[in-house]
Amino acid sequence: MPKLTINGREIDFKQGQTVIEAAKDNGIEIPHYCWHPSLSVSGNCRVCLVELEKMPKLVIACSTLAAEGMVVHTQSEKTLQARNAVMEFLLINHPLDCPICDEAGECKLQEYAFDHGYGESRFDEMKNRKEKRVALGPRIMFDGDRCISCSRCIRFSDEIAKATQLTFVQRGDRVTIKTFPGEEFDNPYTLNTVDICPVGALTSRDFRFKARVWDMSETKTICPGCSRGCNIEMWVRNNEILRLTPRENLEVNEYWMCDWGRLNTFKFVNARNRIDGALIRENEVITKVSVEEGISKTAQAIQKYKASQIAFLGSAFATCEDNFSLAKFAKESFSANNIDFIRYVDETNQDDILIKPDKTPNTLGAKSTGIKPGNSGLNIHEIFSEIKKGNIKALFVMEDNPAAISDDYKNALKKLELLIVLSVNENETTELADIVLPAAAYAEKNGTFINFEGRLQRIRPAVVTQNMERSLDGMSMSRLDKFGTKYDSWASGHRVDAQPSWKLISMLSQKLGGKINYQTAEDVFDDLVKSNKEFSGLDYDIIGEKGTQLDSFIKVKETV
Amino acid sequence: MSFKFTEENLNRIQESRKKYPTALAAVMDTLWIAQDQNGYITNEVMEEIASVLGIDKVLVLSAATFYTMYHKKPMGKHHIQVCTNVSCMLRGGYEIWKQIKEKYGIDNLGVTDDGQISIEEVECMGACGYAPMIAINEDYYEDLTKEKVEEILGTLK
Amino acid sequence: MENIRIVLPEIENIHEIETYISNGGFKAAKKAFSQTPGEIIDQVKKSGLRGRGGAAFSAGLKWSFMPKSTDKPKYLCVNGDESEPGSFKDREVFEKNPHQLIEGTLITCYAIGAKTAYIYIRGEYHKWIKLMQKALDDAYAKGFVGEKMKETFGTDFYCDIYIHKGAGAYICGEESSLMNSIEGKRGYPRVKPPFPAQNGLWGNPTTINNVETIANVPKIIENGWEWYANIGVQKHPGTILYGISGHVNKPGVYELPTGILLTELIFDVAGGVPGNKKIKMVIPGGSSMPPLRGDQLEGVRMDAESLKEAGSAIGTAGVMVMDEDTDILKVLARITKFYYHESCGQCTPCREGTGWMLKTLNRMIEGNATSRDLDLLIEVANNIEGNTICALGDAAAWPVKFTIQRFRDELEQYVKPEVELPIYNKVHSMRETTVPLGVNKR
Repeated sequence: MPKLTINGREIDFKQGQTVIEAAKDNGIEIPHYCWHPSLSVSGNCRVCLVELEKMPKLVIACSTLAAEGMVVHTQSEKTLQARNAVMEFLLINHPLDCPICDEAGECKLQEYAFDHGYGESRFDEMKNRKEKRVALGPRIMFDGDRCISCSRCIRFSDEIAKATQLTFVQRGDRVTIKTFPGEEFDNPYTLNTVDICPVGALTSRDFRFKARVWDMSETKTICPGCSRGCNIEMWVRNNEILRLTPRENLEVNEYWMCDWGRLNTFKFVNARNRIDGALIRENEVITKVSVEEGISKTAQAIQKYKASQIAFLGSAFATCEDNFSLAKFAKESFSANNIDFIRYVDETNQDDILIKPDKTPNTLGAKSTGIKPGNSGLNIHEIFSEIKKGNIKALFVMEDNPAAISDDYKNALKKLELLIVLSVNENETTELADIVLPAAAYAEKNGTFINFEGRLQRIRPAVVTQNMERSLDGMSMSRLDKFGTKYDSWASGHRVDAQPSWKLISMLSQKLGGKINYQTAEDVFDDLVKSNKEFSGLDYDIIGEKGTQLDSFIKVKETV
Repeated sequence: MSFKFTEENLNRIQESRKKYPTALAAVMDTLWIAQDQNGYITNEVMEEIASVLGIDKVLVLSAATFYTMYHKKPMGKHHIQVCTNVSCMLRGGYEIWKQIKEKYGIDNLGVTDDGQISIEEVECMGACGYAPMIAINEDYYEDLTKEKVEEILGTLK
Repeated sequence: MENIRIVLPEIENIHEIETYISNGGFKAAKKAFSQTPGEIIDQVKKSGLRGRGGAAFSAGLKWSFMPKSTDKPKYLCVNGDESEPGSFKDREVFEKNPHQLIEGTLITCYAIGAKTAYIYIRGEYHKWIKLMQKALDDAYAKGFVGEKMKETFGTDFYCDIYIHKGAGAYICGEESSLMNSIEGKRGYPRVKPPFPAQNGLWGNPTTINNVETIANVPKIIENGWEWYANIGVQKHPGTILYGISGHVNKPGVYELPTGILLTELIFDVAGGVPGNKKIKMVIPGGSSMPPLRGDQLEGVRMDAESLKEAGSAIGTAGVMVMDEDTDILKVLARITKFYYHESCGQCTPCREGTGWMLKTLNRMIEGNATSRDLDLLIEVANNIEGNTICALGDAAAWPVKFTIQRFRDELEQYVKPEVELPIYNKVHSMRETTVPLGVNKR
């Protein structure tokens, strides 16, 4: 491998890499604003100017190709002088509104000012003023004063979102960013520009002024909005999810996620219509009881049904662990064969960027963990037609809402003798249920999803339920979580009385004298690994933060 | 208010289009042609340019706002451009600028109420050896004195 | 003084194609087409022809950077954006000898293998665009340009020439922003490398030459490189279209050999200073070049090396003369305003620095500055210089830096020992909290 020297340290680089890329791969950060690994090089911010031996002028590390024997200095006097100069230029017209700026705490301008700033202002002139609070689109707010004209948002829109919607207008220090008059910056990926904006010029209209970033905990998890399974960070304060941001995974979503997934996959977790404790319907009166009592009632009600009279619905919204537990339970306690799940495919809503037509995160996971009709068992359509005929009398629904699919399904559900639903929120199906057990949301549990191309990825709890303890369960902690007490208003966020579906099923199995007895999601997964060769050799550590491609799906991957 | 190119101007755009391998490259000529026809560049004009060339609207905006000779608002029938850059300044450019501002009672990029005159302080026009100079619409007037300026302005109808 | 005219011959009506032809026009092209492109490049290299657009780079060497074997189309851009204050020479070529420019374009296209050339002319030059277009139409009609060239010259080679009209942007004179402008984009300079010869117009190999440079080419081919190399000074041969403006009796464009004394140019050619006043300042190569004090002019010759030695540069050879009554501060502020107005805004130091310098200079004009502001201006200029994508940064920095250095005594007269600044300044001036460079590491 060719080598170059940075600050006296010899490092390897790949042919064709730029100096900034070679440095990054070797853990050396060269300051940058406009450069982004997956966008074209614009070279406009000038903060990555570095000294090359034998070159009279400084060069920008983002556009300079690494070469054998090159000697780079990122901390020499000349380099520091230039970097300080660029920092000073960026700051002279930048507003001093950090105290109310959403970007504060994760602002590159703040960070580099801290690292490389002069420590004084020599600017004795009036700062330039530009437009503030410009709604560029339905989800994006723009502050012209804060913009440092790095062009990342423009390049992102052109190159990644394939939507030429933004441009610079005017010249010099009058330059600002605009859409065409009357048009909105509204492509399906606009919120990524908030993430890559190095300053607080672009803010999310959903998130702005919600929290200081250092007051939130961050949890590495997966977006359940479609079968892409974008890797994300979930940001929580006071046990409430406030935002999702994409997390780098070059195999899945690079650095991005879609706006729909970002805004629509967490609000139901915070929602007021959570199932919070079990609900029992007796003589048309709904009573809220403890989870334990709900489990006992369920056991009593369900045990009389024979395999031919009962059906189980797994869910592509639930984890592999949940689905595996359900399939195992159905077979063990009922020898049931009528097992399936509902597909949510919208061919009209997809693109060749990230958005997939399958609107669930775990279709392949549900299939692989046994959620499919057994020997001469009924599939989803047959289950509902047999319900209508009165042949299927009891239905066990895990984390799904069949009543919302069609009136036909809804009417069928009304004919059942017994409808058991494990659900996160109240919905059309829980309204009809005899017993509703409170399922933990994906944000409240460990587990795995398999994405559209067979990549197994982990979700992690970011929100605590009544049965969890943030510190004991090894969850991500914010500053407030660490230092708050139960007497502090910010530490008193609501905790739902809910359990992961696999846990509810495990409890139910115990009640019915079954053998399923899992304590953790990892227990379930280990059992899954033992019983299904598609998962052989895997454990949670191997899956890690970025997931792992399942061998059995490599063909799937190649054809998509 | 919608804007449509005349048949003749559509032909001019087609001619321009032939000069380049991409449609975007013809945007500057097309903006000129649009300004010829409409006097200035409006949102409707930019939309029509985007449509005629088959390019994104925002790219038309991008170019239109970079180049200072594309007017974003109506200018006077006679658009008087006064150079005040160094070579003209040394030979009385600012005096002429002041003279013209006072004569019409308007400031930079202002237009007289009757829409006849607009004025603009411009950067170097490339007439340094014939300073001071003004341009009225497309025509240069060079080697000026206050008297000559008065005379020239007097002929504007 | 030799009376050699290469670009602007003293032939009446030479701008008309018939006159041009009857005076030997397009014979150089025919001669060129009978040789190999390599031979043409070689002759232009040996002639010593250097770019007339400001950088004075060897034209032949530039052409030789064009890849020989490539499937990509190649382009020539002829730079007639001419917008540097003090420069007004190219319009003389458009007006007085357009066919020589066309012929030079044909020969250059042949040498570099381009099938298409764009002559970029600044938008303000409506009149000269029309004159140039007329000349081009005539040349097309006579079969000197376009596919008919094959017949006219009896070769396989032909090329097309188009005019691209600018629309008000000094920066488009910078070669890479000129290419972006031709592509219909904002005139943003591109990051180099890659250079135009590798990655130019639409990503294809491209050469950019100034109008005057190209207009020299036919005569080099016609008369031989030895002839050209012997005109003017050896290292920077040929003639230059000197544009003289400001406080002289006979301003205008004069074609004279390189290496002429600056004083000769001012006093003999341009008739001296009105009222026989003393000279306070001369900017020898367009407003971005370092100014010379009146007492620095003696013995300075007008060629790249001599001017460099004298502490300035040849630039576009636009000589701006300022007499003893000139207000240097106002001149400097006006020059700075120009670069502020023309900064494209793409890269940080130029976008922010030009505005900062202008604000400070304006404050100085208002009588509200201290001596420290002069030092600060030099530091700001130094912080722009060399740190930008293109040379506009340097162009904005040099006048400020060198004017303050060379006219410090005079500028000191405008400053006060101390000034009372408005309250908004004090809010974020924390001069006592300076942390030394590099110490504040996390």
